[in-house]
Amino acid sequence: MTDLKKEAQQTQEMDMTPMIDCVFLLMIFFVLIIDLSQTNLEDLILPKAQYQQADDSPPENRPVINLLQTGAVYYKGKMQYDPAVHGSDYSGILRMLKLIKQTGNVKTKTENLGGRDVELVDDPILLRADKWTEWHFVGEVMKQCSQPEAAFWKVELAMSEKDKEEALLKGKN
Amino acid sequence: MSDLLAAAQEEVKPDMTPMIDCVFLMIIFFICIEFKVLEAKLPAYLPKDKGSQATKVEPQEQLSLGVYEDSRGTQRFPNGGGPGLVNSQTQRPYRFALQGHTIKWMVGPTLVTNSDDLLNQLKRIYNNRDTWQDDKEKPGQKKPMPVVIEPHPGTYYDDAAKTADLVKAAGFGEINFGGGLGQAPGKK
Repeated sequence: MTDLKKEAQQTQEMDMTPMIDCVFLLMIFFVLIIDLSQTNLEDLILPKAQYQQADDSPPENRPVINLLQTGAVYYKGKMQYDPAVHGSDYSGILRMLKLIKQTGNVKTKTENLGGRDVELVDDPILLRADKWTEWHFVGEVMKQCSQPEAAFWKVELAMSEKDKEEALLKGKN
Repeated sequence: MSDLLAAAQEEVKPDMTPMIDCVFLMIIFFICIEFKVLEAKLPAYLPKDKGSQATKVEPQEQLSLGVYEDSRGTQRFPNGGGPGLVNSQTQRPYRFALQGHTIKWMVGPTLVTNSDDLLNQLKRIYNNRDTWQDDKEKPGQKKPMPVVIEPHPGTYYDDAAKTADLVKAAGFGEINFGGGLGQAPGKK
């Protein structure tokens, strides 16, 4: 009788440990994936968009340039230009763009413009600037993008679907 | 008999621990997802032929949309800190919010002072088919003229982005950015 009971208990028991292990592993995997995709993104407050398209499936190799309120330019967490240090010397931005073009695995095409061949970058570049960054600095990055050595001609301006600043200011009032 | 009773009681007792584990994990996962900012993008195009040799090009009619500062506004630092101070945790300067900052627009020669009027003005131009031009990529078809947004000194990324947002809302497809950038801020 006791043997039968033991057998019945054994057949009904399900070992949940492997499932929990798998769930843990999946969680760690997804958390890491999310963190890796965010390393290019500085903590900025973007302008709120009402009518723009959502940035749902960005191209895999799209370079992301961040501009802080001070006008400082960051790429992959590293400062490339700071107005307080470099002033009107924007060569650091152009150098960064040339490096992205060479090593960033971006798609290029050659077009004959004004009688000479220019290697244009056919992938878009995303400019993420804080909403209170003076336009002068954003315009300057765009100017460097359009230099023939860089030749990024497709630009995407990052906006947000939510205004994080509203909540921040309401919380302080 | 008491053994059988005990066995029956054991059978109906489900083990809740794995389920609670999973629920906790899912809660953490969804909390993390919530922190992700939903981003949108505005596609724009830069001139391809900058710095190329001068060649004869056909002049193209464009709608010029100037963005000007109306009121500078005052800086507030919602996270503490102040101008020029660096947050020791993030190693980035403290960010400010501008309150009371307003802008105005020049749509061609017309002055516009609020965003609703700007949207109406842009829609009126878009709906006027006389302003449309031949589409070089699709012969025989017409397209709305490109819009050149020209943010002037004293304007911010927010001003240009919101202007572009309204231009898109009016129906225009091609947006370019132009205008002089002026002196670097702080050198006035």
